[in-house]
This record gives sequence, C-alpha cells and structure tokens, in this order.
Amino acid sequence: MKNYILLIFFVLNFGFVVNAQEWTVPAEEAEKVSPYIFEDDFVTDGEILYENSCTSCHGTPTENNFMPFSPPPGDPASEQFQSQPDGALFYKIQKGRGIMPVFENILAEEEIWSLIAYFRSFNKEYVQPEFDYGDEVLSELKFDLDFDENIDKLVVKVFSDGEVEEGIDVSAFVVGMFGKFPLGKTKTNELGLAYLDVDPSLPGDKQGNLDILVRVRKGYAIEKATTSMKIAEPAQQTSLIEGRHLWSTGDKAPVWLLVTFLLIVVGIWGVILYIIFGLFRLKKIG
Amino acid sequence: MAGIHKSEVTISQSGKMEHDLLRTVNWNGRFKLWMGFLSLLLLVCLYFYYLQLRDGLSVTGMHDIVSWGIYISNFVFFIAVSLIGMLISSVLGMIGYKWIKPISRIAEIIAVAFALVAGLVIITDMGRPDRLQHLVMYGRIQSPIVWDITIVITYVVLSLLLLYLPLIPDIALCNKKLTGLPAFQRRLYKILSLGWADKPGQFKVIKRYFRILLIMIIPVALAIHTVTSWLFAMTLRPGWDSPIFGPYFVSGAFVAGCAAVIIAMYFFQKNYKLQEYITNRHFDLMGKLLVLVSLVYVYFNINEIIVPAYKFKPFEVEHIGNLFYGHDSALFWMVQTGGLIIPFLLLMIPKMRKPLPITIISVVILVAAWFKRYLIVVPTQLTPYYPIQNVPERYHSYTPTIAEIAITVASFVLVLMIITILSKLFPIIPVWEMKEENENQKQ
Repeated sequence: MKNYILLIFFVLNFGFVVNAQEWTVPAEEAEKVSPYIFEDDFVTDGEILYENSCTSCHGTPTENNFMPFSPPPGDPASEQFQSQPDGALFYKIQKGRGIMPVFENILAEEEIWSLIAYFRSFNKEYVQPEFDYGDEVLSELKFDLDFDENIDKLVVKVFSDGEVEEGIDVSAFVVGMFGKFPLGKTKTNELGLAYLDVDPSLPGDKQGNLDILVRVRKGYAIEKATTSMKIAEPAQQTSLIEGRHLWSTGDKAPVWLLVTFLLIVVGIWGVILYIIFGLFRLKKIG
Repeated sequence: MAGIHKSEVTISQSGKMEHDLLRTVNWNGRFKLWMGFLSLLLLVCLYFYYLQLRDGLSVTGMHDIVSWGIYISNFVFFIAVSLIGMLISSVLGMIGYKWIKPISRIAEIIAVAFALVAGLVIITDMGRPDRLQHLVMYGRIQSPIVWDITIVITYVVLSLLLLYLPLIPDIALCNKKLTGLPAFQRRLYKILSLGWADKPGQFKVIKRYFRILLIMIIPVALAIHTVTSWLFAMTLRPGWDSPIFGPYFVSGAFVAGCAAVIIAMYFFQKNYKLQEYITNRHFDLMGKLLVLVSLVYVYFNINEIIVPAYKFKPFEVEHIGNLFYGHDSALFWMVQTGGLIIPFLLLMIPKMRKPLPITIISVVILVAAWFKRYLIVVPTQLTPYYPIQNVPERYHSYTPTIAEIAITVASFVLVLMIITILSKLFPIIPVWEMKEENENQKQ
C-alpha cells in the first residue's frame, strides 16, 4: 500500500513538469492514416491488445475509470481522444511521454493501428480516412491449407497473383469461443510454403475439428480465412452431472454413501426399537 | 412436602438412603419461584422469536457474509455439552469406575436437556421454519446437514433411553414410597414405571439393554459432534479447512461438558443437601478428569493454529492474524488463556478441586467454551476466499442483535427448565444403583 501511495506522489510531481507544455505532434505525423481497414476483426485484435497493455492506466473505454495521474491518462472513448486525428494518436502511442510508455519497440505498426481501430469503434461518427497506396499495386493473395500428421505441422501454401513467392508473412490461430489462440507467425519459403507447429493434444470438438484462422500479408495486401480442419484428438465430452456423484442431486447420490448411511441408520434405529419394544414387555417378565 | 414413612423406628442404611434421595422429589416453593422466573424470562424471549417469525432473519445481525451467527455457535456449544453423558456414564462406567454412580444421572440429564434444545436451536436459525419438512422431502443425502439432523434426532432418543432405563426402578420406587403426590404425577409414574415390580428378571433385562445402550452411545456421540464439525470442515474456508476438526470438536466438548456437570453437581449438592452422596472426592475426581480433557483440547488447539500458521497460506494468515492481533484478538486470548490454560493449571492444585473453587473455575470454563464456539464459527466467515466487495458496510463485521441474544437466552432458559423439572420429578441420584453399590460393599 505504501509503495502505491509513493508511486502516486511520484507520478503527480512528474505530471507538473510534463504538464507544463502541450503534447504537440509534428504535422506530417498527424496526417498519417491507417493502411488497414478498421473492420470488426481488426477492432477485436485492438481490444485484446488494449486489455493487455492499456487498461491498467486508461481503464475501460466509456467508463472514465482511468488512473488519477497528472496529466490524466484519459478515456479513449472520450472527446479528448476522438477529436485527435488517427496520426496523432498513432504518434503518441508510438513515442510515449512522461509515464505513457514508448510502444514503438513493443507493438508493431499494425498493432498500434488496431488499437486506434478499437478506439474509433466507440465513435459512431467516425469515417476512416482513405489511405493513399500510391504506386503500389496490391497483390492478389490466395492460399491452400493442409495438415501434415507426421510432423504435426500446419502447411500453408501461398500464391501471390498466382505465383509462389518467398517471404510472405503467414500467421495462424485456433479460433476459440472467447478469442484466438496463436499457433505462430512465420514466412513462406522459396516454394511458397509456410509451416506452423500444432500441438496435437489441443482439444478439438467431438470429431477432432479445430477452426483455424490463417492470415497472410504481403505489403498492404491481406488475405485471411477460417477453415475447420481435423487436426486435434476427438474430445471425449463427459457431463459432470451424469451418473452418481457427491455433487449430484439427491436422487443421484453415490451408492456407497446411500448404503453406508442406510446401514448405520437402520442398524442404530433397529437396536433402539428393539429396546423400546422390549421395555413394553417388561411387565410380563417375572 | 413429600411424605416418607418416618414411623419406622429403625431406619436401615438403605432406608436412610432412600429417604435422603427421594426427599428431593417434590414441588416446593423455591421450585415454583424458580420456574416462575424462568417462565417469565422465556415469555420475554419468545416475544423476540415472534418478531423473528414475523419479520424473518432480518431481525438478526446475520447477513450474506456471516450467515451463521450466535445461533449456530450456540448449537455447536449445546451439542458439545450434551456429549458429557456419553463420557461419564458410558466410557467411565464401562471401564468400571464406581465413583461416577451418583453423578451419572446428572450427566445424563444435562445430555438430554442440551441435546433436545440443540435441535430447537437449529430451527431458530431457519428463516422459514415452516419449511422444516423440506429437509426430509428434498434433502440431499450427500449433505452433512442431512447427516447432522439424522444424528441429532438419533442422539436425543438414545440419550433419553440412557436416562430412562436406569430410572424405571426409581420411578416405581417413587410411586410406592412417596405420598401426597398430585394425580398427574402419580399417573405419570404409573405409565413410566411400565409395571416394574423389582423382579430379578426385570433387572436382568434392564441391565442388558442398558449395556447395549452404553456401547451404542459411544459411536453415536462421537458421530454427532464429528458431523457437527463436518458442517464446517467440509466447507472450503480458512480456519475450517482442517482434517482434525472432528477430534478437535469432541475434545472441546468434553471440556465444556465436564464443567457443566461440575456446576450442576455443586448446585444439587448444596440445594438438595446431598453432601453425603456427592462428596469432595467426586469434585476432586471430576477436576482431574477436567484437567485431562483440557490437556487434550489444548493439544488440538495448538495443532489447529500452528500447522496453518507455519505454512503461512495467504487466507489462513488473514484469519489467524484476525484471531491473534486483529478484530477478535481480545476475545481469542481471553478464551484461550483465561478460559482454558489458566483454569487447567489451577485445577492441578488439589485445593482448587474443592467444591467452591472448582465450581467457580468451571463457570469460567463454560462461559469461555461458549465464546470459543463463537470464535470457531464467526471470524472464519469474515475472511472468505473471495473479496468482500460491493456490499453494505455492515457486511464487513457481525454483531448479534438484541433479538438474537434474547432467542439464545431462551435456549438456555429451556435447558434450565428441563433440568429443573427432571431433577424434581425424579431422584437426581440413582437410588437402586446406590443401594446395590452399598450392598456390594458390605459383602
């Protein structure tokens, strides 16, 4: 607790120094826009990142429950954030200031943009500015999937404009109920193949299927798709309330318990009744 | 006053014994005054129970965090005290100690009274006592609460039988020897004596049944308090999460029970003028027994604290800290030192085992034993494994309300009433057993 108070004092003092000047963003940086489309998936990526790296100070967006630092970290859903251009937000996350950490070496540019996509998801009026791809022609990406049982690897074969090519980014995830479990990140080899390790003990569904999300990227061109593949062991789903257990309802009590309980009760009460009936015959004994 | 045939010029020794022991069976003015006082107190307390029936458990200090308050502490205490019947009559009796003869009925009456009222105490802890039958209809046999109810009922019946069996010859004796009895009492004696005619065959049957009961009450009595401890130990909580909770409870029960018997012995000796039958030797021996059971209990107390304290698990530390130097520390140290260690050290001095000092010490032990149950039940609930948050401020502590205290007082009043009535309705010292003992000594 003491350390916590000390930290707040430290942060407060620090704040006075930093607060003295406004946080200015160079004009060319502020004009930067995202080459990535702020679609739902991208927003979800940003949300997960945010919860891991930002919530502790900025709190939950829209709830204004950020830490009481000086200058205040602010709520990303607030007007203070939303009035800034995407580029300014990008710059501030990347460079940091005061106790706002420098994320330049921690988060990839794409990840920072996903955070901004997440912030913008709270702003209904926001329209994403168009990115000028200039002369770059986006390649048309396609891929095939296979699972090599002998080496437990997911094999991704990528075609860029119909040709195999080395060095295309490939990442894969297992899609779960509450999020994505990363299988890995790699690049294609000269045959256009990328190999990703799969733990064969991963729990699949009853048939052993897993939903695999594969994402390939070359420059600004991105292609992704989710495929159901028979990779994992079929899951043996057992119901915890099936059968007789200590935690089940009364009519499903374990047999050993029923037998023990009844034997004890019948045994003791048998003797009690034997004695009570015996007492009533006391008069006849001479 | 009860009439005794005093016309006989020569009163044999057993005749004098009969006279002395039957003398206490009467309804004198002091009894009526005492019962009147108890009834008045009970009425006042019952008003608070009426309030509880009307408004529900909100009249108590219990809440979401502390859902077991002084009712359940009191229940554990009552069960504990009632175990003494088993220790004295059964364990010591079967080993062959003769000195327990004059005090065994006192122990059995205490057992019956406390066990009977313990059942009622559970009902006072229910918000909807009108749904008691749901326990039978929907109870899960897997739940220790169902085991507890079963064993409490069984123990009450066994204790009643254990009290009743050796009473039968004495009831017949009362019916024969006492004059001027009210009609209801005579009818009661007639029904309860079951046609007893002092025949050797009848004695044989009674002794055989009594022996069966003595043997059977040992596991049942151990079970009742072990199951009571399981109500706690089978709940995942710091302070309760202990595999030795059963023996810990049983050993504590003997301490409380011995103290209760000593207090009752003192009361009956003085008020019923039974100095010839309940002698200084009985107090001395009960004192030694109390030292023994206290030592066992101290040993379990040390175990209960030092094992979790040494491992220093986070929640256990919070709980033990609370007892050692926190919110409940004053009570804890008073109970542990003032109510357990100092008394048993004092009782090792022979002079302290004289009737008056040992009775005072026993009162201290018994009061401490009640608060010990409180310390077992309540503080643990205030240090649960989950954070206490988003609750009203009063949920962070527990204070019993006037209604709760009054209803608890009512349970004690009931116990005193049962003990008083039983000790006035029947000879408090077994007459035929004493006579038999006397004859055995002469031979």
